[in-house]
Amino acid sequence: MAFTITCPVCGPRDGYEFRFGGEDKGPRPEAADLTPAAWCDYVHMADSRPGVQKEWWVHRQGCGAWFTIHRDTVANQEVSLNLLEAAE
Amino acid sequence: MNRLKHLPTLRITPGAARSFTYGKHTFEGLQGDTVATALFANGVRVFGRSLKYHRPRGLYSLDGECSNTLMEVDGVPNVRTETTPLTAGIRVAAQNVMGRPELDLLGVLDAFSWAMPAGFYYRMFHRPARVWPLAIQQIRKAAGLGRLSPDFRMPGRFDEIYPAADVCVLGGGPAGLSAALAAAERGLRVILLEARPWLGGAFEYRAADDGDGVALHRKARDLAAAVAARPEIRVFTQAPAIGVYSDGQVTAFQRGGPDQSFDERYIEIRAAAVVVATGCGERPLLFEHNERPGVMQPACAQRLARTWGLLAGTEAVFSVGHDLGLEAAVDLFDLGLKVAAVADIREDGQDPTLVKALAQRNIPLLKGWVARKAHGGNRVTGATLTSVNGRFHRRLTCDLLAAAAGLTPATGPLTLAQSQLAFDPHTGYFLPRTLPKGLQAAGRLLGLESWAAVTASGRRAGLQAAADAGADCQAAIRESEAALRDLPGAVRGSKFVIAPGCGRKAFICFDEDTTVKNVDQAMAMGFDVPELIKRFTSAGTGPGQGGIPGHNLPLYVAQTGLSPDAHPRPTTARPPLVPTLLATYAGAQHDMSKRTPLHDLQVACGGRMERVGVWTRARRFTDDPRCRTEILNVRTNVGLLDASTLGKFLIFGPDALKALQRVYVSDMARMTPGRAKYSAMCNDDGCITDDGVVVQTAENDYYFTTSTARAGVTVEWFRYHTRYDGWCYHLVNLTDAYGVLNLAGPKAREVLSRVTTADVSNAAFPYMGYREMAIHGVPVRALRLGFVGELSYELHVPSSYMPALWDLLMEAGRLEGIRPFGLEAQNALRMEKGHLIIGSESEQRTTLHDVGLGFLWQREKADQRLVGAAALMQTERQPGRLKLVGFKMADPSGPPPRDGSPIVDARIRGYVCTARYSFTLKEPVGLALVEDGLAQEGARLAIYEDGCQGQLTHAVVTPYPFYDPEGRRLRQ
Ligand SMILES: [Zn+2]
Repeated sequence: MAFTITCPVCGPRDGYEFRFGGEDKGPRPEAADLTPAAWCDYVHMADSRPGVQKEWWVHRQGCGAWFTIHRDTVANQEVSLNLLEAAE
Repeated sequence: MNRLKHLPTLRITPGAARSFTYGKHTFEGLQGDTVATALFANGVRVFGRSLKYHRPRGLYSLDGECSNTLMEVDGVPNVRTETTPLTAGIRVAAQNVMGRPELDLLGVLDAFSWAMPAGFYYRMFHRPARVWPLAIQQIRKAAGLGRLSPDFRMPGRFDEIYPAADVCVLGGGPAGLSAALAAAERGLRVILLEARPWLGGAFEYRAADDGDGVALHRKARDLAAAVAARPEIRVFTQAPAIGVYSDGQVTAFQRGGPDQSFDERYIEIRAAAVVVATGCGERPLLFEHNERPGVMQPACAQRLARTWGLLAGTEAVFSVGHDLGLEAAVDLFDLGLKVAAVADIREDGQDPTLVKALAQRNIPLLKGWVARKAHGGNRVTGATLTSVNGRFHRRLTCDLLAAAAGLTPATGPLTLAQSQLAFDPHTGYFLPRTLPKGLQAAGRLLGLESWAAVTASGRRAGLQAAADAGADCQAAIRESEAALRDLPGAVRGSKFVIAPGCGRKAFICFDEDTTVKNVDQAMAMGFDVPELIKRFTSAGTGPGQGGIPGHNLPLYVAQTGLSPDAHPRPTTARPPLVPTLLATYAGAQHDMSKRTPLHDLQVACGGRMERVGVWTRARRFTDDPRCRTEILNVRTNVGLLDASTLGKFLIFGPDALKALQRVYVSDMARMTPGRAKYSAMCNDDGCITDDGVVVQTAENDYYFTTSTARAGVTVEWFRYHTRYDGWCYHLVNLTDAYGVLNLAGPKAREVLSRVTTADVSNAAFPYMGYREMAIHGVPVRALRLGFVGELSYELHVPSSYMPALWDLLMEAGRLEGIRPFGLEAQNALRMEKGHLIIGSESEQRTTLHDVGLGFLWQREKADQRLVGAAALMQTERQPGRLKLVGFKMADPSGPPPRDGSPIVDARIRGYVCTARYSFTLKEPVGLALVEDGLAQEGARLAIYEDGCQGQLTHAVVTPYPFYDPEGRRLRQ
């Protein structure tokens, strides 16, 4: 499972130093639009699709920053944004 | 047994005797022996008995590839004696034996092996089901390796290290050494892992030369010396790699010893590039009784002689499929072994020099012949050879049968690194078809054999790894590739597994007693791919992790033509590649906890210290587990509690208030200067996670506390829940920088006023007030709170001042009878007062409403997108939730129920959170979470306790706080 993650502050570091913060689902929805189901979806549901996804990580045993990376969930490898754009 | 002397390849020190015991005997080995070679030198030939049939087993390879030589050493079972260095005074004992290894009473099982076909245990005992428990007892008695008592504790010193390098090289043979040197010459830091105690791999014991007159062992040792001289290369010997992962992560363990600071340690390496140069093992030849003591691999016999000075027999028969086997026969003959014949699977293609050498020594070479059967019981007494087509047979007398079908590349690390392997008909190997990024392979693993080609491929791999690690060496890589092209390429190999007509007693896996016949049975039952056959027959699943089966299983299965795979496919390797002690994974087991600044002072006061979460804290200060005197002293006089573990934070900046509004349920905009605000945090499910107080110390400047358990995650929590907002605020964790003393009791004011000139009167410093004051010049943040239900002051001071403040207060409060109190007293005191501890009176699914703190929630804050707001709204009137209630016992003369006891009727309806005998109220009281149907005053709760034998105790729901419900005491 081991892999490296690039912290925007500290650079590439061992994945053990980070904690996963879930798929990137965008900002918290406005309270006005919320049904219980929509709220539950936002908090608990994940797409969990194989492939590249944008997700949150915190550099827990480092600088403490929250940031997003792109990760290929099949290869369990971080994918650099430049490569992604080049592929598109 | 006399040892060969004066060989330049020996690794033993003649004269340096090491005595040890084996069963009832005392034996002597030499410095440099392994436990196995020392036993062999003392005439031991039967090392153990096999798992299922209790067949005698002996020395077969020398790197611990099978369970044959597992023994109990100094009380530790399943020690691989082939890789365990002999140390003086150790106690060695055979295992899996009833009697002696030579005369095992369970050996009779072998005669019934026909009754135990493949999958025997699976198929025989599962019907009828009631047979299984009986059967399993008998099987357990007879099968299994080693014995362990339940209270066994692994002796030894264990450690772990996490080194980093540019290049990590697996394997210390010439390929790995050359790779390491090539990378080091480019200025890179290299880590080299070698499983054996020395470098040189399969070359360091060979007396042959490559045609230039320099013996291979000389070249190998020179190369090893060159590596040892490079400061950039860190060499770990006795350190097999056990895992290879992406991004250059390699795991290994290393055996230490009396001269090192560890007996075994875990190594986790992070490198920019990895070179796999793990070489080859010998692929076993399968024939009838191919694992009799006296049957061994040619290299095993050769290394016994060359490295340890031990001739493995007096008269030998060789059955080989590779030039190395011929070389071993010639070498051992020259060292004094009689060689009756050498059978070679190959009809042609032998190295002419070796053929000539055999002829010069009058050793018959039978081309196209192979061993068919080993004769003898506890020792080999003869061998039957057969022509490969099975038409001709010949029986010879011998006490050593050196047999191998060919070589097997050690591809485990490649498989783990997700390299695709494909069968190569030329070499008969599984070769890497693709290599993942940052991974290189080199040496004999790729089918190369000559010294020049092996070292050149190592050099190329080392340079490529250097480039992977960022060095600029494209020109050198091209050069090294050109050099490699001019050298001999991969050598032709064989995929021969077994002579025709054999199989009943031909063991494909020694560890699991799996025969070729078992494989046939599995295939007859429809298991047609190696991965399935492996599971059904358990071949390759034993302690050796497939070391002995090698690639025989896929090769054999492919040859039967019954498999859907036209080409052999390897079975999957998994970490650890070499069995690793759990103690090694556990490592040094440092039990680390934090101590408060008052640790020593509290111990001096009789504090009973206890591990609580990440901290070590004082549980109590007397022998009384109920802490009567501590509790009553707080209620009547004054007590002092070390509350330094509280989370303490500063938050400031233009958006600090927004952040507080996001996570705290109350309206944090409505704060009065000089007053603390009590509030709580919830998660997105509306479940309470934390409570504490917040004070505004200046504009955009706040100080707040969290519970001890949340101190470590609070910064992460704030930042996570504001991650989309781009707000500007700073959060400083002062938990360790500040200590906290809680001065509590009706006489607290007298004590405090004695140490400060600040006005601490009730009017000047009221309940819930916050003041910054000086105590003898020490800056103090003082909060007037009442967690334990009395007048009390929480004094927050820089940690370094804590001991001085403690002494000052203890001295100042002497007249008032001040005494320290601990966590247990605090717990009883606050529970009487109905104050909660998040985690005691709440659990994962407990909402703010459930614990009666819903009034804290300011629902008009909707525009702040408060964490948990949506769920708080949805759960406010949700039926069926567990609610926090107080209770008293129906029979107040009984003891309080234990914390955590379930509340039941026909099913579980809740549980006791905290219950104590109240010295103040003179009866037991408690708090419980119960289903809302039971949450009304007067409801009767039936409590089940461990060991109550059906005798439920009863309690009655009572309003809380039990103590001072009007809250007069904390405002006095
Ligand atoms: Zn960082």
